[in-house]
Amino acid sequence: MKTGTRNGLLLLGCLLAALVALGPIVWAFSTSLKPTNRIFQVPPELIPSVSTLDHYARLISEGVHRAFLNSGLYAFLAVAVALVLGTVAGYSLARYPIPGKQLVLVLFVGAMAVPGFAVLLPTQLLFVNMGLYNTYVALPLLYAGHILPFAVWVTRSHFNTIPRELEQAAQIDGYSRFEAVWKVVLPGAKPALLAAATFGFLHSWNDYVTATTMVDTPGLRTLPVALIFFQGFHGRDWGALMAGVIIATIPPVVMFLLFRKYLIGGFADGSVKG
Amino acid sequence: MTTAVEISVDSSRALDSVARKTRIVGSALVGPALILVVAINVLPAFYGFYLSLRQVFFFGDEGYVGLQNYVALFRDPFAWQAMGRSLIFTFGSLVIAVPLALVSAMGIRRLGKWGSILLTVLLVPWAMSPIVVALLWKWILVPSPGGLVGAVFAAFGMPPQDLLTDPILAMPTLILIAVWRNFAFAAIILTGGLGQIPRDLYKAAAMDGLGAWEAFRKITLPLLASSLLIVISMLTISYFNEVQTIIGLTGGGPIRQTTTLGYLLYHTGFVELDQGRGNAIAIVMFMINMLLIALYIKILGKQPGAAA
Repeated sequence: MKTGTRNGLLLLGCLLAALVALGPIVWAFSTSLKPTNRIFQVPPELIPSVSTLDHYARLISEGVHRAFLNSGLYAFLAVAVALVLGTVAGYSLARYPIPGKQLVLVLFVGAMAVPGFAVLLPTQLLFVNMGLYNTYVALPLLYAGHILPFAVWVTRSHFNTIPRELEQAAQIDGYSRFEAVWKVVLPGAKPALLAAATFGFLHSWNDYVTATTMVDTPGLRTLPVALIFFQGFHGRDWGALMAGVIIATIPPVVMFLLFRKYLIGGFADGSVKG
Repeated sequence: MTTAVEISVDSSRALDSVARKTRIVGSALVGPALILVVAINVLPAFYGFYLSLRQVFFFGDEGYVGLQNYVALFRDPFAWQAMGRSLIFTFGSLVIAVPLALVSAMGIRRLGKWGSILLTVLLVPWAMSPIVVALLWKWILVPSPGGLVGAVFAAFGMPPQDLLTDPILAMPTLILIAVWRNFAFAAIILTGGLGQIPRDLYKAAAMDGLGAWEAFRKITLPLLASSLLIVISMLTISYFNEVQTIIGLTGGGPIRQTTTLGYLLYHTGFVELDQGRGNAIAIVMFMINMLLIALYIKILGKQPGAAA
């Protein structure tokens, strides 16, 4: 009896929590499908009796899809650079004697802890002076720098758990060291690599403040920046704005749902070992 | 230690050169990542300090002014107000997020498989872009009976309120949205921490006649201390530096009520383009961040569980 009420309460709490977490997103989706004259309908209607894709079409006619592609391109480049450099560095930190290794590790952990925002203003002036401001390289470069410490950390943690004998056995079988790592060690590092890739994608795709301060031309804008500009011009066009919210939310949420296991594992791992 | 074959005649000299070679290879492999991280995350902090000692306006450097930017900042009542707003925002969010994350983590643990599904659902807002979250909540809070919150007000027979332009309610509203966005991230780490507490302890406690509350106080809390500290430190730093949802939701208003230090930095440096002064704020924020990190490392270092 007592455990019955307890479980009932737990279930109720869970449903409420899920409703609070997803309710606003579902509501935004519903709004994005309603014809403009029904958006402010009283009482509000969750499932639209009349639905339309006009708002999504409008975003395309305003050129927002260009920003969508930019966001994807920047995130892809940043993740690719961070994964390659991060894996190599993570492997090296796990296997090689490196002078000043402790200091290097502290640097990576410290860089992970300091949020990029605190150094964004000097970065902007630096980029202006170096001619990197408002270029296609600016954002992928910065995002790669933000993601790298985490990539180094998860890959190093992973390589630390792999016995050296595995590579040595492969080398005795006639593989070069590089082949041994590529064919024997790296496939096992998939969870660590996916954790870093997912984290990196979410960081890059979801950023607004770096993007809005580092590029200026409409052609270079990312999706969040384009949506804020759109809001500036059409602040009351809630249908199109919510369509924008939905298209900006689908890629990171899908990525998160696909790889959540690795991402959550990576965070739990990093925090326990940190 | 890579190849035993190379050790031939003069073994000690050969070993020496092998060791040097591996050191060079190791450094060369770490090099590129280290250079990029230092260039992107560390150098700008020093450059920012240099700029904070100069008068820089609209990308034009007008020369060295010593500590003038800092003096002006410390004399500015608005800067102190922003510091106060940062503290309210940071600790207000923490006070709600941490207990909520703890309760959720305990529920998630108890539910087993369904719990991990719930955790995934709760994490969806965390996977979203903060500025997109701001856009979304602007629509949820729109002051009209046709909006979601407006409809709730209407159900209670009240006129719709504009929470984001209300001088008293704007800050609590921002806090709740910040908690909605990322408390579940804290729940991940706490769920992991709870999983490491042996279940036998609770059985033993039950046999000793300890109630649920006492078991929570005497077993769960002490054994969860290191995870809790990690969570508190991560959230403190994240809330202290929050700026994107504030830009999107209130723009620091109404009447500066939501102008935190982070927003003041954004406004001074990127909107007013007073970059000398902005960099002084950035350095102050950077120092506070370092102080918080150092403080937490010190506290965490004393925890026996953290050494694992």
